[in-house]
Amino acid sequence: MSISAEQNAAAASEFAEFAEKQFGGSGVTVSVEHHSNAAKYAFVRLTCPPQHWIALAKWMRFDAGVNYCSMITGTHYPDGAERGWGVAYHFLRQPVRDVEPFTADVLKASDLSGASIPLEIEVLIDLPSGDAPVVPSVQSIWVGADWNEKETWDLVGIRFEGHENMHRVLNPHDSPEGFHPLQKQHQIRYHDFNEMYDDAQGFVRKPADEGRVK
Amino acid sequence: MTHGLWTLRVKVDGETVVDTEAELGYIHRGVEKIAEARDFTQVTPYCDRLCYVSAMTWANSYIYAAEDLLEVEVPERAEFIRLIAAELQRLASHLMWLGAFGPDIGNLTLMTWCMRDREMFLDLLQELGGSRMHYNYPRIGGVKRDLPVGFADRARAKIKLFENRINEYEMMLDESTIWLVRLQGVGYARAEDMVNSGVSGPNVRAAGVNYDVRWAHPYSVYDQVDWEPAVEKPTSVKGADCYDRYRVRMEEMRQSCKMTLDALDKIPGGANTHYNTGDEMIIAKAPTRAPEGATGFSNYECTRGASQFYIQGGGDGRGKNPYRLSIRSPMFITIPYVAKTMIGYKVADIPAIMGSFDPCIGETDR
Amino acid sequence: MAESGENYTAFNSRALVEVVGDVTDEALKATKIKQLLSVLAGRFFNWGGRKSLFTLHLGIKCCAIEMAAAATPRFDGDRFGVLFRSSPRQSDVLLVNGPISKKFADKVVRLWEQMPEPKYCIAMGECAISGGPYFQSYNILEGVDTVIPVDVYIPGCPPRPEALIDGFGLLREKIIRIGGAPSTGRDGEKPVIVGED
Repeated sequence: MSISAEQNAAAASEFAEFAEKQFGGSGVTVSVEHHSNAAKYAFVRLTCPPQHWIALAKWMRFDAGVNYCSMITGTHYPDGAERGWGVAYHFLRQPVRDVEPFTADVLKASDLSGASIPLEIEVLIDLPSGDAPVVPSVQSIWVGADWNEKETWDLVGIRFEGHENMHRVLNPHDSPEGFHPLQKQHQIRYHDFNEMYDDAQGFVRKPADEGRVK
Repeated sequence: MTHGLWTLRVKVDGETVVDTEAELGYIHRGVEKIAEARDFTQVTPYCDRLCYVSAMTWANSYIYAAEDLLEVEVPERAEFIRLIAAELQRLASHLMWLGAFGPDIGNLTLMTWCMRDREMFLDLLQELGGSRMHYNYPRIGGVKRDLPVGFADRARAKIKLFENRINEYEMMLDESTIWLVRLQGVGYARAEDMVNSGVSGPNVRAAGVNYDVRWAHPYSVYDQVDWEPAVEKPTSVKGADCYDRYRVRMEEMRQSCKMTLDALDKIPGGANTHYNTGDEMIIAKAPTRAPEGATGFSNYECTRGASQFYIQGGGDGRGKNPYRLSIRSPMFITIPYVAKTMIGYKVADIPAIMGSFDPCIGETDR
Repeated sequence: MAESGENYTAFNSRALVEVVGDVTDEALKATKIKQLLSVLAGRFFNWGGRKSLFTLHLGIKCCAIEMAAAATPRFDGDRFGVLFRSSPRQSDVLLVNGPISKKFADKVVRLWEQMPEPKYCIAMGECAISGGPYFQSYNILEGVDTVIPVDVYIPGCPPRPEALIDGFGLLREKIIRIGGAPSTGRDGEKPVIVGED
């Protein structure tokens, strides 16, 4: 009663073809990848330069039916060769439509086809290293991106251009300007004690080590 | 107390709510930063403590992402045990929700009844994981230990008892005028609106579409057990109200009972055999290091929506730690949406609407 | 009728009450009954207070669920007099049951200051004792005793509801020892830890 592997593979390749036709050759790369966990299903991975992101986002939302923005992850790569910062967006295409009152849309997995098959889409945007990473904001395209972008700015420091009403959501409002804890130059308290977490259960210790501080 | 620690600023005109703003972050613990200094196995206890009412589902969600990153194949018996543990946890979590929602509406009896029944399932989960609330039970590649001897009989007896109790709850609540008047017609939310805003899970299933990550992006042995995703018909063109969201969770509890009984019958190796810890029937050997550039992603149906983990490998310790662990909490997106849903209703409807969406601030604030 | 500004009451009772009060006070002091009465009253209020510890209905994180479980039929804290009150002005005990973040720190202190004396604080769970699993975090204080004085520590993650009820029992024993000492004057006391024998 779940989406079968054939449906999933068909959905992924159809979406990838559609995206390739629309954006192929403009710096956007499209590929169909497979998870290594669970049922090892396929998903579509797109990498996009920041200048094409708004066009890609609008196409995804309005033409390709990707209606669920689920996660925005910002990462800081201080030692990265090709990139200094990265933003990873995860979307889902969900076959959810409004229903008439007193009716329910009981979707049967085997009946779904084409653009109704649920699909996971990942968009990776790499930003050059530097102190001011900027990405265009998709707040007006998906409402679900709103607080995700606020959290990414709050914790990682990536600025979202065009985002209205940006404010701190998890850190206190009076945090110092420019304090974004997930950047790699900030270290956690007692970070020097990490050596004691090597071999936490003591599998490598020998009886002669009894009583000695590691 | 029972929904979590957050602030809702409300602008009122007389008794009517005109504008709302949610403020979160009171228990922001920085788990994503701490995880960069921990092994993959050491992150599991932190994931239990994300949504503390529903710990097993969050630990499972993280473990699937770690298995994607480290490319581990999980034995089938372990998948069945994870399913049983997750569904028992779903029952305990929905009972905790109902036990908190009742007092929100004024029905304090529900709190005592639900917590009493929740204790039954906490005892079962304690047999598996060792503690009442934070189990640290799943491992990368399987589970820590097998079903204890006699677990299946105890689980079957408790679930059969509980199925009658659900009928008792419905008998009390569906004939209570106060309950019906306070919940019906309050807090409308449409399905497409919710999906565009990032809401998922039972809140969307209450609006008439049975989308569920367990069949849409299948991950465990859910297609081998007999179940249907619980869906509820919305009562208005404006969408689902609080009563629909309450009914969809009652139906989900029934489905979880059905799933657990079925899984206990179908588990490979039989529910009464007990394999030793470390046996290959319940856990597979997993690598401990992930190279730079490897990523893992998991999409999981937690009790409150679709939770996702995104792990990038190549951290400290030559890849023993994650480089970046990113957690997607369904409630982080739902709470601002719920704050907007309250506009237009009375101040007295605020706890009803807020409670019916089942917030849990632990996962929101990470 | 009396006009504003003019007091036609011929007899003002305040002065009489003060005089009678002073005279009675001197008499009681002289016969040592006042000392006896204050000892008895002190013991009576101490007994009343420790048998009905009203706890603030504050839930921070996971330990709050165990606090709720301790109020439910299986463990039942109510039979020990432990009731939850919504206002700090009406509660005796502040039960801190989760990690204190920087955003929440001054609010905990404000709640503590709003509670009237005699008040007690119980730190429940590892996060409240020392920061717990989040001791390395950038946003969590290393224990609530960095901002308010704590009387009883209940270790556990989360502590079982039985441990919480035992914590209240140890708090009752401590109240017998310290009497009505204000919360700022208890530095000489050893910290009470549940499970330490």
